[in-house]
Amino acid sequence: MLIFNYNMLKKIIMKNQFLYILTLLALIFLPACDDRLDVEPTLSISEETALSSAASVSKLLVGAYEIDGNAYSHGGYIQIYSDLLGADQEVSWNGTFFEPREALTKEMNAINFLFEDSWRYTYKVISQSNLVLGHLDVFTEDAEKARVEGEARFLRALNYFDLVRLFGNDVQGVPLRLDPITDYGSDLSISRSATSDVYAAILDDLSKAISLLPEDNDVYADRFAALALLSRVQLYLGHYTEARDAADEIIATSGKSLSPTFADAFNHDEDGDEDIYAMQVTSQSGENQLIQMYASEENGGRGGDISINQPYLDLFDDSNDERSQFFYENAKGDRLSGKYTNQFGNVPMFRLAEMILIRAESNFRLGTTTGASPVDDINSLRQRSSAAPLVDVTLNDILLERQRELAFEGFGIYDIKRTQSSVAGLSYDSPKLVMPIPQTEMDTNPLMEQNEGY
Amino acid sequence: MRPTLLLFICMFSANVFGQWALTGRVTDQNEIPLIGASVQEKNNTTNGTVTDADGRFELILSESAQAVVISFTGFAAKEVVISRATSDLSVSLEEDVSLLNEVLVIGYGNSSKRNLTDNVALLHSEDLSNIAVSNFQSTMSGKAAGVRINQTSGKVDAGINVTIRGTSSISAGREPLYVLDGMPLINVNESSNGAPMNPLLTLSPSEIESINILKDASSAAIYGARGANGVVLITTKKGQAGKPVVSLNMSTGISSPTNVIELLNTAEYKELFTEAAINTLGPEDGTAEIEGLFDYLANGTDWRNNEVDTDWNDIIFRDGQQSDVDLAVSGGDLKTQYYFGGAWNTTKGILVGNDLDRISARMNIKHQLSQKIAAGMNIGVSGAKIERVDNDNSFTSPVEAIAQSPLSPVYNDDGTPNANTLYPNFLLEDLYANYTTKLRRITGKVFAEYKFIENFRFNTDFGYDNSHQTEDQYRGTLTPFMSTNGYAYNSNVTSENYIWSNYFTYENELSRSAFLTVVAGQEFNNSNRVFATVTGTQFPSDDFQSISSAAEITAGTGANTTYNFLSYFARAALNLHDKYYLKASIRRDGSSRFGSNERYGFFPAFSVGWIVSEESFLKNNRTLSFLKVRGSFGQLGNSEIGDYASQTLYNGVSYNKISGIRLEQPGNNNLTWEKSKQIDLGVEFGLFNDVITGEVDFYTKNTDGLLFSVPLPGSSGQLSFNKNIGNVESKGVEVVLNSKNIRSKNLQWTTSFNIANNTNEIKSLPNGNADIITGETINRVGESVASFFLPEFAGADPATGDALYYTNGAGSATTNAYEDANRVIVGNSQPTWIGGLTNEINFKGLVLSFTFIGEWGASIFNGGGVYQSSSADYFDNQTIDQLDRWQNPGDITNVPQARLYGQNGTGPSTRYLQKGDFIRLRNVMLSYNLPKSLTEKVNVGNARIFISGVNLLTFTQYTGYDPEARADFDNYGFDNGWNFYSAPQAKTTSIGINVNF
Repeated sequence: MLIFNYNMLKKIIMKNQFLYILTLLALIFLPACDDRLDVEPTLSISEETALSSAASVSKLLVGAYEIDGNAYSHGGYIQIYSDLLGADQEVSWNGTFFEPREALTKEMNAINFLFEDSWRYTYKVISQSNLVLGHLDVFTEDAEKARVEGEARFLRALNYFDLVRLFGNDVQGVPLRLDPITDYGSDLSISRSATSDVYAAILDDLSKAISLLPEDNDVYADRFAALALLSRVQLYLGHYTEARDAADEIIATSGKSLSPTFADAFNHDEDGDEDIYAMQVTSQSGENQLIQMYASEENGGRGGDISINQPYLDLFDDSNDERSQFFYENAKGDRLSGKYTNQFGNVPMFRLAEMILIRAESNFRLGTTTGASPVDDINSLRQRSSAAPLVDVTLNDILLERQRELAFEGFGIYDIKRTQSSVAGLSYDSPKLVMPIPQTEMDTNPLMEQNEGY
Repeated sequence: MRPTLLLFICMFSANVFGQWALTGRVTDQNEIPLIGASVQEKNNTTNGTVTDADGRFELILSESAQAVVISFTGFAAKEVVISRATSDLSVSLEEDVSLLNEVLVIGYGNSSKRNLTDNVALLHSEDLSNIAVSNFQSTMSGKAAGVRINQTSGKVDAGINVTIRGTSSISAGREPLYVLDGMPLINVNESSNGAPMNPLLTLSPSEIESINILKDASSAAIYGARGANGVVLITTKKGQAGKPVVSLNMSTGISSPTNVIELLNTAEYKELFTEAAINTLGPEDGTAEIEGLFDYLANGTDWRNNEVDTDWNDIIFRDGQQSDVDLAVSGGDLKTQYYFGGAWNTTKGILVGNDLDRISARMNIKHQLSQKIAAGMNIGVSGAKIERVDNDNSFTSPVEAIAQSPLSPVYNDDGTPNANTLYPNFLLEDLYANYTTKLRRITGKVFAEYKFIENFRFNTDFGYDNSHQTEDQYRGTLTPFMSTNGYAYNSNVTSENYIWSNYFTYENELSRSAFLTVVAGQEFNNSNRVFATVTGTQFPSDDFQSISSAAEITAGTGANTTYNFLSYFARAALNLHDKYYLKASIRRDGSSRFGSNERYGFFPAFSVGWIVSEESFLKNNRTLSFLKVRGSFGQLGNSEIGDYASQTLYNGVSYNKISGIRLEQPGNNNLTWEKSKQIDLGVEFGLFNDVITGEVDFYTKNTDGLLFSVPLPGSSGQLSFNKNIGNVESKGVEVVLNSKNIRSKNLQWTTSFNIANNTNEIKSLPNGNADIITGETINRVGESVASFFLPEFAGADPATGDALYYTNGAGSATTNAYEDANRVIVGNSQPTWIGGLTNEINFKGLVLSFTFIGEWGASIFNGGGVYQSSSADYFDNQTIDQLDRWQNPGDITNVPQARLYGQNGTGPSTRYLQKGDFIRLRNVMLSYNLPKSLTEKVNVGNARIFISGVNLLTFTQYTGYDPEARADFDNYGFDNGWNFYSAPQAKTTSIGINVNF
């Protein structure tokens, strides 16, 4: 009897067990909770949001300036490479890491991570500018659309100009991308464009930017910033008429004037009288790598990684010249530049002084006196720094004046190449003065060709 | 469970009614009474009692009681058939000496070692306790085959890399999943100072009852998408039925660095650098240059007469100290068991400025509400305060002070740190700045079990893990690089993890010879992290250190990130004739981290086992007492690539205080799990009645669809693109041997030994198998993950003293032009062999135990070599070997001519690469159990005193600080095998006492 009962019971339980299992499993497993797996980030927005409204595309443009102000791009390293490449005994590299020193010793390597980061960041500005330019149709207001397009073209031209001068030679330029990338999973290989094609793109961007941009545009690129860049590009290309005219237009119509003293031209929290365009730095945003490398610890730098030596001072012809005294000493007794002492100061990109020098040089080379005679232009800068005025000038005087005025502002190697002179025993066209294409680009872009000698 | 037995009893007792009392006595095989043994009525788990001090018990049984189950930890449980006629039952339990009957935690259930078809390593609290280290991970070192525990450096808070069966991933996370009492733990390093911190530092080793490490796919697959790197299951201590046990442990010890490297003294420094300066600049200019520098470094002291001779090692290291106290009370009856305890640890690190204080408490309680329902709660709370020092790549990290010149005085005459040193004096940072991290952690779970019937139950566990960290940094006006009148940084991060698991377990004997266990369930996991920082500058004075006194708030960041996992899992295990075992499991995981097209993954596993020794042809073999072969196959996932890895992200940025956005990450909707397929073949054996037992495992692990941040060309403007691509195969052998060498009444000696080999090979890579080179390492098809890729250094040119390199690897032509030397593969950052050897010798209560660990096959790149062993390239003090420099034509040496600013051999090459092989006495302990006669007098159950040591001996050819120290910034240590001014491990000697009341 009991045996029978037990077996019955067991059967019922067994049966129910499966029922239990089925019901409970169903309870748990049936409600699909897929939507719980859709988790949206709170710090970021999606592609659709970022590219669909005028408000967000104009924020993308602000983002492009932010990237350009990074230490690796125009926050400082781009300028530093040019000056270290263009120097020999004039400066010392005292920093403990050797990557910047490679530019000074002209023994550069493709694995140099700083060069790689600068390559990447300049392209990042270009990429973000392309994104803006590819989505201009979201703007309904013409003036806003023109301004945004002009600024994006200015930023793109500025970065291509530095890329092609640092990493390109006479023939081979850098990869030219003028459209946004839509799928980063696709093949992104791209070959180098001819140097002439890169300059054609730069000049095209600038001529459009000049016609699109307003004359006043807060701290962002305005018509005069684009003209100043055009003037610099044309000078580099040896198109002196165009360089002169652009410089002259700025001097005549921008309303900018030389700062009363040389010292006043630097270390601004806000753009000064002679700043045509500057990268903005505040204590909360922006980076000033020039401070890091040139300034003492007290001034927010690494203590003076780059110090200035006697051969630079030997360029001066008047001991009263304020520019020859614009230095201070750090604890070790090294001579540091006074141009970079405000930790959160803006990074000057285009000063009126440069335009005056371009006009003087172009007028001299062309034998013209558009706007002013070369000697008057040069003397305007000398007088500002209490140096004795010159009676007349030679081309060499003008080029020397450039070095006295613009040293450590990123003109070093470009002036050497442009004037076909030499540095540290290397001719202007030496492959050693062309930076290596970063190894990571070589490793990831099969169409890329390395520069000679690397 | 055994219906036939039940039926048999039923028939004989059906006519008996009413409750009755059973008395009896429980002893071990030597007739020694067992105190606290549990006596339970069979099939009525709520009815039971425990034995008293004489091993006696009395239990009122229900009318239907037919048997009692008697159990005691460490002894085999016994079921005794009883009747009303039974009077004064006498039961002796057999000590359970076989490791095979140990119960292992395997995730959503348990299994005996014998029945297991997986590779699981088990560590007991005895293996882990009384080792003077402040984190529980280090206590596992050397005790489980194929499990490598590497604490980055000798900092008390240093990050820990636990690698189970080697590295099988390149870009995704490599840490195992930690599961505490069934709940996946948050294990995210939240350090802001560049050096990783161990997030599990809050867990006190004293809370842990056991650790099970799931190594193969068959065991870890139940954790699906998170199991690819293995799973570490931590079980905390629980109460046992019986009278309350109070246990108190106290220990204290002192520590020092395992090793310091020898640097030049003042006389040697002057000699080498004068020579170097003359070699570069000529006698006149060179002497002038270097004497000018000596004047600066000496800071007014008389360097010509060696007035100052600083060994900076003496300044950065100090005698450390570690003290531990923990107190726990546990006990209960058959219905309710409780454990509560607290622990306190204070560690003064061997590096100046590095301290830890931790306090933790835990309560675990379980109650049997009725025959069907049991419920309980575990909760652990802890707080830790850590005084931190800078990461290894900071000028103000203590160990970087060895770069300072011996000519430099440490202090000024007034006792303040000398600020005029070559590099900033770290004591200025130590004295005028602080960086305090506080960790607070709550891990808790409530759980319930409902038994529908005896062999079918439902478990629901709701777990909560809260990890909260604050960092307070203040740098005063006198610290190095101070230009803003003080600087304060505060961060606050809270990570919360909710996990709700529900599962059914069905265990039943299908027939006389077939036993089936089925587990099926569902789990939902929500994890949320909120993060905020604020930075301020411009303080009125150093007396104001709170961020609210900052005149300028210069930065603020915040983040709020979430990920969810939704999972279903099932496992079935079949035991046939106690000889043949089959197991299958499957888990389906969905994660919010992956692309909308590829959100779900299936992770199946199968395994089989055959206890050959149960077959008739081996059954009574006297030599081979146990033999099991097992094999498993499974597929696991790795989802550790960040929370929004698949999405296109635009982030907010600021330019001139105006907001902007920028493209931060290009998205990939097809991004999915990294899948690894693993095969494991194992043999377990016992010889001579299990006097010697062992395990041998062979495995292969094939990881496909590697989660990879594919590097993009810089010309695209983006750094990388997350993609599943590439394939790595790793394989290995693990051998475990345990031996009971001597088992006499007065002397017992056991040895356990493990050794593991692991190698891996990259099978395919993105961009058409293109090499991926990061710093000094390369990932190349056909080679191991992260192989060193460097030009081979060929010593000094005997004719010129130039550094020479082989143009194409060792043996080829040499060149003095670094750029002409091709890089070749010259080693690997991961060891190929790791092993451990533990011995325990017990002589009449005097116990000596020690564990050696060893690693072979890893190389270490000295990233600081370019500064500290550079042929006097710059003014950094040099390692003593630099005195063997080339001086005259014909000199044969490996140290090129000393040349100040000469970069003579300073490019990355094998000059700075060394083998990191070592054998180390990880821990040793001598303990003595005080005799009962003594302890009884003071009313103490048992008492033990011990003296123990950690890292007391190291055998290595490595000349750096420590073969177990790696760089702690970015991924330089783990990925690139760098040592960079990395602090050696602590060598600790401590004494202590354990008392049970």
